Amino acid sequence: MTTDETAQGGSNTGPLPFDTSKAHQARIYNYLLGGKDNYAADRAVAEAMVANYPDTAFTARANRAFLGRVVRYLTAEAGIRQFLDIGTGIPAAGNTHEVAQAIAPETRVVYVDYDPIVLAHARALLDSSEAGATEYIEADLRDTATILAQAADLLDFSKPVAVTMLALLHAIPDSDDPYGIVATLMAAVPSGSYLAISLGASDLVKQETMRSIADSWNSGSQQRVTWRSREQVARFFAGLDLIEPGLVPVEDWRPEPGTTDEGKSIGWCAVARKP
Amino acid sequence: MNTGSTSGEASGAGQEEPAAEATVLRMLLGAQLRRLREAAGISAEKAGYEIRASRSKISRMETGRVGLKLRDIEDLLTLYGVAGERERTKVLALARRSREPEWWTQYNDILPDWFETYLSLEPAAATIRSFETQFVPGLFQTGDYARAVTRLGHKAAPDAEIERRVGLRLGRQDLLDGRQQPRIWVIMDEAVLRRPVGGVLVMRAQLRRLTEAAQLPGVRLQVVPFAQGGHAAASGSFSILRFEEQDLPDVVYIEQLTSAVYLDQRADVEHYLEVVDLLSGEALSPADTMRFLEQVADDT
Repeated sequence: MTTDETAQGGSNTGPLPFDTSKAHQARIYNYLLGGKDNYAADRAVAEAMVANYPDTAFTARANRAFLGRVVRYLTAEAGIRQFLDIGTGIPAAGNTHEVAQAIAPETRVVYVDYDPIVLAHARALLDSSEAGATEYIEADLRDTATILAQAADLLDFSKPVAVTMLALLHAIPDSDDPYGIVATLMAAVPSGSYLAISLGASDLVKQETMRSIADSWNSGSQQRVTWRSREQVARFFAGLDLIEPGLVPVEDWRPEPGTTDEGKSIGWCAVARKP
Repeated sequence: MNTGSTSGEASGAGQEEPAAEATVLRMLLGAQLRRLREAAGISAEKAGYEIRASRSKISRMETGRVGLKLRDIEDLLTLYGVAGERERTKVLALARRSREPEWWTQYNDILPDWFETYLSLEPAAATIRSFETQFVPGLFQTGDYARAVTRLGHKAAPDAEIERRVGLRLGRQDLLDGRQQPRIWVIMDEAVLRRPVGGVLVMRAQLRRLTEAAQLPGVRLQVVPFAQGGHAAASGSFSILRFEEQDLPDVVYIEQLTSAVYLDQRADVEHYLEVVDLLSGEALSPADTMRFLEQVADDT
């Protein structure tokens, strides 16, 4: 697809530098969701993406709605009480711990992000319920050792954990071994744990469209994107049992009746249980 | 009340944005009414007809350029199917705030216009982020600290006037008891904690008050220690007020000696947003700030 300088140059695994002259994924997403925590560079990239594919903003909203549904499902139906939410993003309505703790107040959530603006907002704005707990880790997804070591302060890895990586893995090129990263994280959690993933799809709309969206993104952003096909996404779930309805566009995963926001997203998602 | 005593104020005040107060609150109100009208699927013509006004009056009202009588707003809410007492009360309270005198009118004699604007914006905000370089933020000041700060600015003032100024300052703190209070997110330079305004005893009590404030729901305090963050030195104090309504811009408030500046152009606001975003990442986390506050209190 697009050339990937990050991949060739070797990725750093430290925090993302704070830079408002370049777009950040979290702030692009914030803008697409109608938030105000974004800068001119973020809006320029987001608008270029929308110009290439008008349902880009719908995709962001649909992904956010998927977050709500999957956390509700995992808490209410799968009985999950521990979440490892990687790629937290700037807090918006219905954050993971809010959704989960509304159902089970004792739920513990560890948020992980490598964008300092996300951590600053998360630490300041996310209030845990009294019964539960939240923690924030500043770490790059590629640094799984740090994530697992620090998450263990709050999460009990002998009990099931839901690992969620929503709208995240498209920021990890193949050269950084995203499959190995996911496998490492899932190896650290016991049977009965869950994996939820959503990411940008290379094959839900025309390839040229996705290439132009990637170009808009890559030209103004600190991060680079790699879209993935259905087959490539399925590989993340190797050895896990997919939950119905399997691997689908984000708006089609257990949609709730009465949803009025309609469009055609460019994001795949799936949820699976570790046997 | 107090007629005739405000002449001293007129000289330097009100230059920046004469109608900013009414405008921002009316914009808030208008934006809410437009959202309710659209949600109900009612045209501006029909809404206008309901209150014997033109379509263009509705549209001017919804963009905050004109106000409406409370009775008309009540009729519109009914037309829009807003029946819940809570939502009606919320909109009507905003309407009242946008047109009627507030608690601080009792301080008219000492209250400059430029600060009155801030007082009207403060409770309407969803989030207030501020950066403080010198003083403990007014919302968290003890009476003694407030008195000491006020004396710095009004050395020759009689005690009675000082007390009135302190009363005004402390009156704002009622906001913290409100259920609909804005989220207050303050970043303070370490200097704020170290400068013993009013003396050591006053400061010690003030630091205790800050640790209590840090635990209030909806309040977040962060300190930028001297050891860290050169950016803290590059800016003076300011606040950014953010409103829930998506179409309302953030407003930056910068207090000067005899006036204040209000910025709401995105390009201007963004510089300040960048400073607080950067500093909130560099500053101690809210949890570490608690420990830091306790440590400074022990040193004081």
